[in-house]
Amino acid sequence: MAESKQTPDANTGIPEYEYIDVNTKPFHVGSFRDEWLARLRPEDFSFQQEDEETFEANFAAEMGLGADTMAELKSACSIDSLRCHPEDEQLSMDDVPSNPRLKTLIQRKRKQERASSHNIHKNRHDFYADELERLTIGRPPEMGADRIPKGEVLLTINIYHPAVYEKFNFTRPCMTLLMTGSHTLTELRDAICCISDLQVCGEFSKTPDVAPDFISKDHFKSAFFFFEGVFYNDMRFPECQDISITTVEWAKAHNFPQYSQAKMEDTRFVDLKVKVGFPYLYCHQGECEHIIIITDVRLFHKTDCLDKNLYPLLTHKHRSLTQKCAVCHVFIARWYTTNDQFAPSDPCLFCDQCFRILHYDTEGNKLGQFFAFPYTDRGAFN
Amino acid sequence: MPRVPSIYTDFFYEPLTEDVEELLAHFQHTDSVRYEDFSAIWRDLGFSDIFMGINNSSEMKRFSRITLATAMKFFLPPYSYQIRVGGLYLLYAFYQTQLASPTVKIRLALKDWTHVQAFLRDSLKGGHHDVVYIYQKLVVTKAFHYTAMPHVLAFMKQQKHKTSDRCQEFLSRSTVVHELMSSDILDEMASIQSHYEKLKGATKEVSGTFTMIHQDFTSRLTECMSEFITWQQKTLPSEANKDSKTGSDIEEAAEESSSRAKRLSSIKQRSYSNLMGGSKSRRHRNIQMVDELPSRLEQVQRAEASQKKRPVSLRARTRKSLGVTEKRSIQGWHLSAPEEPALK
Repeated sequence: MAESKQTPDANTGIPEYEYIDVNTKPFHVGSFRDEWLARLRPEDFSFQQEDEETFEANFAAEMGLGADTMAELKSACSIDSLRCHPEDEQLSMDDVPSNPRLKTLIQRKRKQERASSHNIHKNRHDFYADELERLTIGRPPEMGADRIPKGEVLLTINIYHPAVYEKFNFTRPCMTLLMTGSHTLTELRDAICCISDLQVCGEFSKTPDVAPDFISKDHFKSAFFFFEGVFYNDMRFPECQDISITTVEWAKAHNFPQYSQAKMEDTRFVDLKVKVGFPYLYCHQGECEHIIIITDVRLFHKTDCLDKNLYPLLTHKHRSLTQKCAVCHVFIARWYTTNDQFAPSDPCLFCDQCFRILHYDTEGNKLGQFFAFPYTDRGAFN
Repeated sequence: MPRVPSIYTDFFYEPLTEDVEELLAHFQHTDSVRYEDFSAIWRDLGFSDIFMGINNSSEMKRFSRITLATAMKFFLPPYSYQIRVGGLYLLYAFYQTQLASPTVKIRLALKDWTHVQAFLRDSLKGGHHDVVYIYQKLVVTKAFHYTAMPHVLAFMKQQKHKTSDRCQEFLSRSTVVHELMSSDILDEMASIQSHYEKLKGATKEVSGTFTMIHQDFTSRLTECMSEFITWQQKTLPSEANKDSKTGSDIEEAAEESSSRAKRLSSIKQRSYSNLMGGSKSRRHRNIQMVDELPSRLEQVQRAEASQKKRPVSLRARTRKSLGVTEKRSIQGWHLSAPEEPALK
């Protein structure tokens, strides 16, 4: 393994920065959880709210404070001490106060004045950014077997577009998933939506009506994850092949350090040894590679969604523009043609109706020369 | 090329950091660690207005996250005890006054747990009940997220923010050398050495053949310590240096810095019960002097130095760790590209 250092941190499970503010050194997720659980009292990470009066009584008893001192302490530290305006003053929290003294407010006021003069259009990405989160926040925690047990670990995983899309090369994640520690890697794999999974292979210009009965996802089931020098292969189905063996053998032949392999379905997140903030690889369809970054690992909190059935939970999805038909610019493109004598460009996109009208006569015979492929648009997941 | 603007991924926000530093500077001047003094400054500056004027809910969440991260920074070493108390009060204040719903939580990283526990132990020893109360209150209201790292990391470089001069004031300075100087150990050592020399001179076989220790050991040690003190005075501006117009004498500098150390420890000594006018029995009780937290100054400087160096790129690191030789010139990113034609 490239990163096996004999530091005590790698073994004790306390994450440390490898490069400050960029990523950490590898640590074991299960050990990290155990370290936290060893340090905290059960009430600290439980999902029940502690009663305030009980807390104050316990505190007074522990510190040996009299009732008067406790009462004074409580009133001094109450929320009223932070109130900057009188209680009955009606303030609109949407506007910056006039004559601000704080630098943050001065800056904010300046930005607001600039924004209103420029008439900037609303960014659709920001508009929908919180939509998914809003759906799950505030759900009452389920009781019984569907509830996440307390002390469970929550991982936030960013999955990025394949690097072939130059437009999205720079950091905008395609989707953000929340996973629990007891999920296996196969559950992560199933949750990743990639457009290449829905592609249909084959040329259909002669038989446009034949509904293709398979998609790439069913046809090419092999996939692997690569974390810290270990390839985790999906071997659930008999059709799955070990596509990482090529790389492993090549590495052996070329004096690279030894890579090992494991099964995706047998590995849970708590068993993994990973770095937070470091890019890893997910490869499927043989050549469609996604970068995966685990951005955050923490213990579950009572305000998180506690319904086990909702995980893996999608909290952010990038909304791609859909490609429309070249003719009508109304419907989403379903056909992709090349070497087409009727098309204005090569290659060209058509919706189903325009495609048939242009390329086939009333009997359904093919007119002219062209190659037609079924096309799945990137915005299919919007 | 639409890059994600760095405002979405920033850990800190500069105008906010400046406002917070101003508040902490006021707090430092009060020479107290009482919550009432902090909240008075908070109200005076009108700090809860800092959440006003944000119309977007995602922007509100992002800003709340930044306020809590800024307060957390001052709660952890290498800052002095008083500033850390200010950081804790700030955490409480920002958490209670934030307008995001659901509330944004405070991220507590595993590696900082020991620092927090040490801080609480010191506060308990010093009898600062309000400090401990505020912390326990935050734990009970489930304000903490127990995380791996203090920030969400996505393999992106952060813009370096300059540490202001005021920030230098907040750092806790090493007073170990001052304590050594002020104690009588040096005199004892000098007397022991002279005793040793006398004994050595008395035994005729030994004298002149070998020595266990340098002749001028104590004076050289004193020289080293004075050098350190002057260096500390020079590199880290202190209030004394700012006021004094003429160059300060070494002894004067040593005196001032030791008086600063004494002032800081006296702040710690003024416990909550003293302010409340504790009972007679409490007044005469011996208050344990809390030791100054060990200096993290060197650690800060090391961290800063490593930050100044650009982190080596992933490609270079991979090549280095895999021991790629010049002969082979294997380029990792060519692995999935088609082979180049032999003839060009």
